[in-house]
Amino acid sequence: MPRLVAISRTIFSNWTLALGVLLLLAIILMALSAPYVFPGDPYDMVAPALTWPGTMPEVPLGTDSLGRDIAAGIFHGARVSLMVGFIAVCFALVIGILVGSLAGYYGGWVDDVLMRVTELFQTIPQFMLAIVIIAVLGTSIEAVVMSLGIVSWPTVARLVRSEFLILRERAFVHSCLVIGMSDLRIIFTQILPNALSSITVMSSVLMATAILMESALSFLGFGDPNVITWGTMIGMGRGQIRDAWYIIAIPGAALLITALALNLVGEGLNDALNPRLRKREV
Amino acid sequence: MNGTNLLDIRDLRVSPRGMTETAILRGVTFSVAPGETLAVVGESGCGKSMASLAVMGLLPPGLERRSGDILFRGEPLPVDDNTAMRKVRGRRIGMVFQEPMAALNPVYTIGHQVAEVILEHEDISAAEARLRVVELLREVGLPSPDRIIDEYPHRLSGGQRQRVVIAMALACKPDLLIADEPTTALDVTVQAQIMRLLKRAQNELGIAIILITHNLGLVAQMADRVVVMYAGHKVEEASVQTLFASPQHPYTQGLLRATPRPGRRRAGGKPLEEIPGMVPAITDPPSGCRFRPRCPRATRECETVHPAVRQVGDTIVACHHPGRLEAVQ
Amino acid sequence: MSYLGKRLVHVVLTVLGIAIINFFLLQLAPGDAADVLAGEAGTADPEYLANLRREFGLDQPMLHQLWAFLQRLFMFDFGYSYRHNMPVSTLIFERIPATLILVGSSIAMALVFGILLGVVAARTAGRLPDKLISLASLLFYATPPFWIGLMMIVVFSVKLGWTPTGGMSDIISNKTGLAYVLDVMRHLALPAITQAVFYLAIYTRLVRAGMLEVLSLEYIRVARAKGISENRIAYHHALRNAIFPLITVAGTNLGAFLGGAVLTETVFSWPGVGRLMFDAMFQRDLNLLLSILVLSSIFVVLVNLAVDLLYALINPTVELR
Ligand SMILES: Nc1ncnc2c1ncn2[C@@H]1O[C@H](COP(=O)(O)OP(=O)(O)O)[C@@H](O)[C@H]1O
Ligand code: SF4
Ligand SMILES: [Mg+2]
Repeated sequence: MPRLVAISRTIFSNWTLALGVLLLLAIILMALSAPYVFPGDPYDMVAPALTWPGTMPEVPLGTDSLGRDIAAGIFHGARVSLMVGFIAVCFALVIGILVGSLAGYYGGWVDDVLMRVTELFQTIPQFMLAIVIIAVLGTSIEAVVMSLGIVSWPTVARLVRSEFLILRERAFVHSCLVIGMSDLRIIFTQILPNALSSITVMSSVLMATAILMESALSFLGFGDPNVITWGTMIGMGRGQIRDAWYIIAIPGAALLITALALNLVGEGLNDALNPRLRKREV
Repeated sequence: MNGTNLLDIRDLRVSPRGMTETAILRGVTFSVAPGETLAVVGESGCGKSMASLAVMGLLPPGLERRSGDILFRGEPLPVDDNTAMRKVRGRRIGMVFQEPMAALNPVYTIGHQVAEVILEHEDISAAEARLRVVELLREVGLPSPDRIIDEYPHRLSGGQRQRVVIAMALACKPDLLIADEPTTALDVTVQAQIMRLLKRAQNELGIAIILITHNLGLVAQMADRVVVMYAGHKVEEASVQTLFASPQHPYTQGLLRATPRPGRRRAGGKPLEEIPGMVPAITDPPSGCRFRPRCPRATRECETVHPAVRQVGDTIVACHHPGRLEAVQ
Repeated sequence: MSYLGKRLVHVVLTVLGIAIINFFLLQLAPGDAADVLAGEAGTADPEYLANLRREFGLDQPMLHQLWAFLQRLFMFDFGYSYRHNMPVSTLIFERIPATLILVGSSIAMALVFGILLGVVAARTAGRLPDKLISLASLLFYATPPFWIGLMMIVVFSVKLGWTPTGGMSDIISNKTGLAYVLDVMRHLALPAITQAVFYLAIYTRLVRAGMLEVLSLEYIRVARAKGISENRIAYHHALRNAIFPLITVAGTNLGAFLGGAVLTETVFSWPGVGRLMFDAMFQRDLNLLLSILVLSSIFVVLVNLAVDLLYALINPTVELR
């Protein structure tokens, strides 16, 4: 396990990464344990409505205006947030890597065409496009994931392209060409692995953005009405903002911590993987 | 000596901040007389630039001066006091750097940048400053100064930009000009022009010059005296004639052998020899004499005792076995 | 071809691309465009639908439809909203001033503070002020902006009672002149701050990174060797060069202003285009939604063009060719 030791040493010598990983693990644990800790439907009424946090041991984080357990909502919401963020980023990665690697590897007119299309998607305001896609596809969790993926892929494509533009000039790529390796093999087995560290760093920040956007969509009421998410909880708590602000505050804090964790992981990975960038900060 | 020297550097030590063991300058001493040209030579990484930046009080944030006085006209320079040093920089001491392509701010005109130094140090109007700038640009040999004054740097060649930097350094008629490899990044022909310009400016203004270079050909043309540095130490100091005629330190001899010089060693048919090995990393210096791993003359003594600086004839040298290489062999 | 000519062609092509994307979004929706357009009118009168279809050429092949769509677009004819009972273009343009005030003032605020904080952070890189600023900008970056808005309502409106909870002015008290302006500003404070926080986190990081990069360059050392003060070096020499990426990003934010404030406008019931979009979503007024999206994208393209021209004006190393 020397590799694991090396990895954990990197993690713990870098407090940004350590804190990020720790927070993220806690949230993942919450998501995984949700069905066991709170086996019931988080939409069920379990206690008197508007119970303040800390006043009833059965519902430590209190209840909302319909007597639903906020703690249960937070745990189940973690599942949705992480899943939606993760799948949306995977979706964006597939499209973005495909477009970016072809554009960067082939250059010329392929690059021109693909980058024009990418720019086009970046011209359309992201959040609006997500809303319109949901309007067209209907309010389902699949539509939300799809819309987040569609608005996120251009970022991936641009990064992958710029990495490919640099990497394809390297000697190892030329030697692969000389031995007659096919373009696709070079792209996926030679260049892409070298671009992986940048892609990883970006993915974690992208996932944070996707999770925040999902929460915004559900907050506005454009999410899947059958699934509880932190954004939905905040949206439903708006009516009680005068007398029960904790209904809004708690899921918001959960969102903040999740997005923070992913950003810390991204920044920590960046420091660990690109030491040349860190030097500049000294 | 104090009374007559323009600049005295005494036992200057510079280390990375917070690292007491490693040092970049390990007790460097030399002085510059008014109007003279002192060349500082040595391979890349020997500490030449850091010594000159220490004089300006402009060491990079990661480095600090551990000890050592820097006297200017016999008075200690307040190198740790940025506000006080600002009155010295650009006014008493001008500096020219290695990279003319990067030395000018891309968003301001040439005139703006040259006038800035005059307006900073002298109480004159912008209009007067502009007239001075046109004159300066003419003096450093730039074509049509009244047009070039309103150009942005990217329109100028490297040689032209270095002339602008020299104009900025000379604008307030300083007593000392520090030129840190001013021509390393330039073509050979441009190099010669820039050197002629510096020589002329020196004659006209009577300024002293510290010329940092690793080009011994330039040293022979320009300098009165030479300081040779190796791994943060001054290893040899002599007048230019003495140094070229009878170099004492094995490192100096190595540098000379690695330099093409018309009419001298070449005539003897000897090929150029590189000094074997590399400058040691500052974090891991060899014991005793820093040059020992690369020195053909090293003995047991060199391994244990660091050689002190001493006088041998007209030369100051830090070596246990100074003298002509042939004599020892 | 001149630079401007090339850019204008690019603008036209981009708008064309945006229109095509929108056209296909419309095609993706269940039912055809006529259903979409008439659906929200509430009446599904077959004759009316048939009329619409003929009018929009929906009985024609796809390419014809696209052509018709583009023609209407270039005439700024976005159709009619039955819900609001007025032409869509009028509906949108009426809302633009409110959104522009909100987004404009928040970008201005974010620029001022982002530059200030970014410069301070870069100048104290690695030390306490930098660490605090970087931590704060990371926190703001990770906080959902609408949640910041709600929390500010809790603190400043509910607990302290300093600011109204929403709207753009007091409806009852029919103020005029200066009193009206002050009233709007009182209503504007929280939404503008909410919206600014969103930009501020990005701007601060951008300025800090740019300043660090520029401060390590040779010409900064040359300026120091001239005896220039650290303040002048930071603001006159470094910032002037570090600010270019910020101009591009702030320009993009400004261009995207129409859709940039959907959340803030919804939280604070600010009567702008974002709020209109929110309502359109709930009323399933797909045509209105798409129109806002198209118009908003066109603004992005136009403002980007303007920013590029401005960029060339203030950055002498860029020459328009
Ligand atoms: N900012 C810095 N922090 C730590 N070490 C440095 C820094 N700048 C330069 N050095 C080290 O100082 C030594 C001397 O550098 P320098 O004076 O630039 O050499 P020269 O000008 O003779 O080529 C080198 O070993 C270099 O690695
Ligand atoms: S002291 Fe010894 S090792 Fe050092 S230069 Fe002289 S002879 Fe060589
Ligand atoms: Mg140097």
